[in-house]
Order: sequence, then C-alpha cells, then structure tokens
Amino acid sequence: MRTTKAIFYAYLTLIVLSLAYFVALGVTHR
Amino acid sequence: MNGPAVLRALRDNGLSLGFGTLFLLALAGQAVTGQADYNSQQLSSGGEPVSLGQYLVSSSFAVDVAENWQSEYLQFFLYIFATVWLLQRGSPESKETGHQGPQSDEQQRMGSHAEPNSPRWVLLGGWREAMFSRSLGLVMSGIFLASWGTQSIAGWAAYNSDQLATRQDPIGWADYLGEPDFWNRTLQNWQSELLAVGSMAIFAVYLRQRGSSESKQVGAPHQETSSTS
Repeated sequence: MRTTKAIFYAYLTLIVLSLAYFVALGVTHR
Repeated sequence: MNGPAVLRALRDNGLSLGFGTLFLLALAGQAVTGQADYNSQQLSSGGEPVSLGQYLVSSSFAVDVAENWQSEYLQFFLYIFATVWLLQRGSPESKETGHQGPQSDEQQRMGSHAEPNSPRWVLLGGWREAMFSRSLGLVMSGIFLASWGTQSIAGWAAYNSDQLATRQDPIGWADYLGEPDFWNRTLQNWQSELLAVGSMAIFAVYLRQRGSSESKQVGAPHQETSSTS
C-alpha cells in the first residue's frame, strides 16, 4: 500500500500545484 | 524494491498509473497543438507567434486546461452525491432500489460497527468520522470549485489580452463572469459530461462489457441492479 499512498498524494499534489500555477498565470497576465 | 516487488506495485496500481501516464501524454499533446493553433490565430490577426515556453505560461493555455478540468470534476462530484439519493434500476452504477440515502452505520461499517482495521478517522469517531464519511465528495467538489475559479481567472486574463490586441478596453473579473465567453466555455463542457454520465447509467442496464468493473456480469439479467462481482 506504500506505492498506492504515494500515487494518491502525487495526484493531489499535481492538481493543487497546477491550479495554483494557472491562477498565478491569470493574475500576472492582467 | 526488487524486480518482482516493482512488477507487483505496477500491477496493483495499473489504473492510476496507466491513466496518469495517458494524462501526461495528452497534456503534452495539448501544449504542442495548442501552441500551433494559437500561433495560426496570431498570424491571421497580425500578431507575433510565441514559443512553446511562452505558450505554456500564457493564460490561453491555462484557461483551456482549467475549463476541461472543472467539468470533469463537476461530473464526478455530482455523480458521487447524486448516487446517494438517485437510483437507476438495473444499472451497476446504482445501489439497489430502496437503498436511497446515507444508509445505517451497520451497512456502512462505521460508528459502533467499525472494524479493527477500519480507517483511523472512522475509529476515532466524532467530527473526524463525519468528515471522513464525506471526504470523497468534499475533495472532488473542492477541486471542481477550484478549477472553475481558476478557469474564471485565466479566462478573464485571456479575454483581456484579446481585448487589448483588438484595441478594446479590458474588463474587470466580476464583469467577465457575466460574459458569454465564460459561460460558453463552461456550459459546452458541462453538457457533454452530463450526457455521458446519464447515458452510461442507462446503457449499463442493457449492455455488458465482459470483465469490466463498470459492467454487470454478461449473464446478469437486465433488471438486476447491483453487480456482485
């Protein structure tokens, strides 16, 4: 289950960081 | 990990690893083709073409990704919440008819019916158990709202850069939320997700896919709702 948990956190991290990146792009392109 | 352990880890996580890999490939393809499309529009409107690096930091790329993400997470969170209360007789996507609602603690193996190897927050009880019992829906709806918000911000920036390119005044974020551009991007994605979910729920009553966890067993009668496999 260690690999499974690592994949779980990888997905969550990917989503959260990507959204933060896209928001930053939008805000800085004003 | 040694060889057999790696193979086993890959086999045990085939769905998440397989789809994660396909996602990264598709996103890379979107980046390359998105840049080409963006540049052909730039050239036809007399603008300067951009490099791949410039395209990846553009609000145009961000809004194209975010608008698709929000609709996918809308689909899943709606399905997660709707399947608590709405049923479909004969569909393996549904609970048995008559089982509407959050069900008893006994049926959910929680509260005083928790088992020694139940998740920790179930065993702790109280607010943690209450939160954990809604965690899938909360996370999926949270990602939906965050993606939709992201779409609105990146879409606003992309809209304003188009406005400036055509010598029109930029608008405020709140004004963008009333623009057809925002709602067209939103609703064109929602309609396809809702159609796919509704058709999947009803198609799975009468159609089968041998060996798929999304299908009833091939020989299961049409009126049988929950697949036991």
